[in-house]
Amino acid sequence: MTRNQKIKLYLFLFLLTAAAFFAILFPRLTLPFGFAYIMFLMTKPLTLRLTTGSRRQRLGYFFLVLLGAGFLFFPVIATMYSADFSSLTDQLPDAQRSLQEKFFAFKVMVFQRTGFRLNVDPVSFVMSKIETHGTDLLSSFPNYLSLLLEWVILVPIFLYFFFMESRQFSRRLLEAIPNPIFEKSYVLFSQFNTKFGEYIIAKFIEATLLGTIVTLGLVLIGFPYAFLLGFIAGVTNILPYIGPVLGIIPALVVAFLAKDPSVSMVGMLVVFALANLIDMILVFPLLVSKIVNLHPIVVIVSIIVGSQLAGVVGMIVVIPFVAFFKLLFKEIYKDLSVQL
Amino acid sequence: MSYEKEMIEKLERGESVNDRLDIPLLRYLWDASPLSFITTRESYHDFFKKITVLSSFSDNEVRLFTKFLHLREFQMNEVIFKQGDSGYGFYFIFSGAVNVYANQTGVGFEPGEFVIKLEKRQYFGEMGLLEEFNRRSATSIAAENTILLGIFKPDLERMLEQYPVLGAKFLRETALIMANRMGQLTREIVTLKKRVHEMDQKA
Repeated sequence: MTRNQKIKLYLFLFLLTAAAFFAILFPRLTLPFGFAYIMFLMTKPLTLRLTTGSRRQRLGYFFLVLLGAGFLFFPVIATMYSADFSSLTDQLPDAQRSLQEKFFAFKVMVFQRTGFRLNVDPVSFVMSKIETHGTDLLSSFPNYLSLLLEWVILVPIFLYFFFMESRQFSRRLLEAIPNPIFEKSYVLFSQFNTKFGEYIIAKFIEATLLGTIVTLGLVLIGFPYAFLLGFIAGVTNILPYIGPVLGIIPALVVAFLAKDPSVSMVGMLVVFALANLIDMILVFPLLVSKIVNLHPIVVIVSIIVGSQLAGVVGMIVVIPFVAFFKLLFKEIYKDLSVQL
Repeated sequence: MSYEKEMIEKLERGESVNDRLDIPLLRYLWDASPLSFITTRESYHDFFKKITVLSSFSDNEVRLFTKFLHLREFQMNEVIFKQGDSGYGFYFIFSGAVNVYANQTGVGFEPGEFVIKLEKRQYFGEMGLLEEFNRRSATSIAAENTILLGIFKPDLERMLEQYPVLGAKFLRETALIMANRMGQLTREIVTLKKRVHEMDQKA
């Protein structure tokens, strides 16, 4: 390697490390950037041909995606779930009363059977905790609002950049890669993009299917808050292993607190079991399994680390990143074992 | 001005060339037309049509194929790949020349024994494109300032997705090269075995 090539290589590696540090140090920029990239990757398979068209065509398509996302998602979600939300907040005092009654009955039963008087009041304790968290949430609401506004402005800007400039950008990036590491970097970069895009789309489809099945099932058995519970089940299902457990908790709480005898705990459990069974037997093997091949322990540890680093977004995107690093280390190890 | 000339002049001026070979549609169609005899320079069309792997491609197929190629420039004596490296790509020599060395000893930076000098329009590294875990069987070094056109595994996958007929055609041509090399190797093995047998009988 000549001196110039060495300088080019080291400079490239330095820039790469600096970019990684920048991404970790400024999550307020990295997260909307990542979100826009995910949206771009999700729409990319459908727009493969359109995005290779002229600038005007691509610009048109960008606005179409933006409008479509706005028109489709926001009103549908807002109207569907606002009713569930308002009735849930209306019924919170009732729920507290019902919990207290149930706990009182439990205390009486313990006293009658053992003669031991329980002097704790976990229901009031939990309720006061919920109230304090609620007020905390309300007091930090302006912060969340400003963050939301930031995202509303930043995500479309980044998305615009991806739609209009992604080809030129990837071309410039490939140009900058020095010859000695070009082949490997290009292949890894392409594999990461494909894996990441496929994973996000697969998870999105999986979550939508599971959410729809749960919602329909709960509507059929006449379970309250069917839309909200179905939505929660769908969203939590994005997380492997932990997701299905997290998704069923709100439904369990609703079934436990319900006074109406028509609200069936067994029916709800059957709906969730059926939905997860369909997911495990049909959706997962067809869509997700070929993309991510990681040990369950690795997946769980990665989700925890992801949540520590970048919250909910981190929990979702950490899996393809880990799959990519596994691939990267395998490649490096393979190379070293030949050279040694 | 021809594309090759443009590239070489850019290299001489020390300017970097684009990563992708992006030939404008009109320019390509003009080159492919019968009227192109008016210009004396060699066109891209001529360049690609004279490459044996692409000889069965129609003009439009060649044009589409060039969209998947990467343009990489190498200085004289720069290593393109070393024996034992993981291989992912197949290269055509656009300009310049490449020296191929084999039987690397693994001591220092000695490339090994000189095998062949590849010139303009010749190609190398096709195994890297087809094999799943390919290791380069020889070291390739630029014999002079060289421009290579490379196609790599992700490009082939994309080509098969976007233009399946073109992808299948290219795979068939690559398989033919491999089959020819296999046939050549088999013939060499047969000759060598014959010689060993003769030597055994003499001894």
